Amino acid sequence: MGDGQMLQVKKVRKSFGGINAVDDCSLTVAEQSVTGLIGPNGAGKSTLFNLVAGLYRPDDGAIWFNQRRIDGWPPYEIVRLGLTKTWQIPHELRNMTVLENLVLAAKRNSGEHLLNVVFLPGQVKRDETAWRARAREVLKLTQLEALANEHAKGLSGGQKKLLELARALMTDPTLVLLDEPVAGVNPTLAASLMDLIERLRQEGRTFFLIEHDMNVVMNRCDRVIVMHQGHVIADGTPASVKANPAVIESYLGG
Amino acid sequence: MAVDTGILINVGFYVSFSIIFAILALGFNLQWGFTGLFNAGIAGFFLIGAYTAAIAITPYAPPSTGYPGHLGGYQLPLAIGALLAMLVSGLTAAVVALPTVRLRADYLAIATIAFAEVVRTVAINLEPITAGTIGIVGIPHLLEFSGPNAAFLNMATVVGVGALILLGLFFGLHYIVESPWGRVLRAIREDEEATMALGKNTFLYKIQVFAIGGALMGLAGWLFAVTLLYIEPSGSFAPAITFSVWVMVIVGGAGNLRGAMVGAFVVYGLEWLSVQLKDLAPDFLKEAIPYLRLVVVGFLLIILIILRPEGILREKKRVLR
Repeated sequence: MGDGQMLQVKKVRKSFGGINAVDDCSLTVAEQSVTGLIGPNGAGKSTLFNLVAGLYRPDDGAIWFNQRRIDGWPPYEIVRLGLTKTWQIPHELRNMTVLENLVLAAKRNSGEHLLNVVFLPGQVKRDETAWRARAREVLKLTQLEALANEHAKGLSGGQKKLLELARALMTDPTLVLLDEPVAGVNPTLAASLMDLIERLRQEGRTFFLIEHDMNVVMNRCDRVIVMHQGHVIADGTPASVKANPAVIESYLGG
Repeated sequence: MAVDTGILINVGFYVSFSIIFAILALGFNLQWGFTGLFNAGIAGFFLIGAYTAAIAITPYAPPSTGYPGHLGGYQLPLAIGALLAMLVSGLTAAVVALPTVRLRADYLAIATIAFAEVVRTVAINLEPITAGTIGIVGIPHLLEFSGPNAAFLNMATVVGVGALILLGLFFGLHYIVESPWGRVLRAIREDEEATMALGKNTFLYKIQVFAIGGALMGLAGWLFAVTLLYIEPSGSFAPAITFSVWVMVIVGGAGNLRGAMVGAFVVYGLEWLSVQLKDLAPDFLKEAIPYLRLVVVGFLLIILIILRPEGILREKKRVLR
C-alpha cells in the first residue's frame, strides 16, 4: 500500500427516488485499522456499505479499494479482490448447514466450476477437503464448532451474527465491512468477538464497522467516522468524535 | 407362438410415460428444486426436443393429399437425434435464460409460460416444417421387430432404453448436484444476493442450470417421440404438461432427485389408473373418471402441502465430514 489507505470513498452519491441516501460522501479507511462508522438511523451507513461492496451502483463519485477503482464492479469481483461485507440482518443460507455456509464462501474452490467437477475430480476433491478443514478452523475461532452440522435457520440471532463473520473470514478478506457485528450478541460473546477482530487486525486485516454499541465503538475503534443525512459530519479519534458538538446533537445526545 | 402380452404392454405404457415425465421432473427439479428458478415453460422445451428429434430421424415426408409434409428426410441415427434434441433444447433454454433469468421468480414464470405458448403456436402454424396441427408421423421405432410379439418387444425396448437413460441421469445429476457446483445452486435458491456477496457469479450459474434443465427436457421430448412414434402440438405440449411436472416435483420432493422421480411415477400412475378404471367402473361413473382423477390429484396436493410441504422424499441435510 502506497499511502496506507485501504479504502477511499470520493464524493459518492446514491439516491432512491427523491431521497439522497448517500450524498457527496467522502471518507477513507486506513490499512490495518479498526474504523467505526456511526450515525443516526437513516444516515446512509448501510447504503454506503452496499455501495462499497458492489450491491448498489453509485450515481456519482468513485470508490477505490487497495489502489483499484471498484465502483460499478459486480459484488463477486469485489469479494475476489479481498473486500467482503456482512449483513445487518443476517443473510444465512437457511436450509444449508453452518459448515456448508462457510465452505460455500471459500475463494477459488475448483469444484464450483462444472467442467472441473466433470474432468478434474481429483483436484476438486483436494480443494474441497482443504476448504472443509479451513472452515472448521474458522468455526473454532468464532465458537460455532458445535453447530457445524446444524441448519443455519436453527441458529439464534446472535449465532447468526457469528456466522456472518465466520463466512466473511472464509473469503480471506483484506478489508471486512461489518454491519452491526455485535447487535443481539450477549456481552461476553460480543467481547470475545471484538477480541477476535483485534487479533485478525494484528494479522494484517482491516475492519470497517457500523455499530450502535458505543462501548464497542469508543474502546475498540482507532478511528470513528460519523455520518448524518448521507454525508460525513465528523471523523477522528473516538475521544474527539465524542466531544464534537455536531455529533452530540445529531446522534449521541446530551 | 404369440403370448398374451396385452397387460404387459399396458404396464409398459405406464412405465415408459412415467420415465418421460421423470426426466422432465429431473430437469425442472434442477432448475426449481435446487436453484429456485421457476420455469413455467417446460412444455416448450419438451416440444423443441420432440420436434428436433422427429425431424432429424424420420424418412422423407413430402406433401401429399391429406398430409402437408414436414421438414426432414435426414434419417439420422436415433442416438444422434437424441443428442440434437438435447442440444437444440439446451441452447434455446440458455438463450431464453439470458434476458429472463434476472427477473424475479413470478416474472420468470410469466416470461417462460409465454415462451412455451409461442413455441407451440409456431409448431401449429409453421406447417412446412412441422406439418401443422396434424403433426409428424412415421417416427421410427428404437429397434425394428416383426412377428406376433413385435408390439411387446417394441414396448420392452422403449422401457429398457428409458430406464437406462433415467438411471444414467440419476447418477450423473447426483454427482454434479452434490459437488461444490451444486452447493452454489442451493445457495442461490436460499439467497441470491448473499451468494453474490460471497463471490459467486450467480448469473452464470443460472444460465448453466437453465441450459442443462432444458437439455433434459429435450431428451424427454426425444424419448416421447420414439415411444409414441407420432407427435402433434395441440395436446402433448399444452401447458397442462408443465403443470403436471410441477405437481410431480412438489409431491415427490423438491431438491431431491429420487423425489422428483417418485413424484413422476406416483402422479402419472394416478392418470394411468384412472384410464384403467374406466373399463372396470360402472356405467354411470365411466364418463366421470378422468375428472375424478383431477379431483383426487388436487386433494392429494392440498393434503400433502398441509401435512408434508417438503414432499414424499424431503431434501436431506448434507452433513460434511
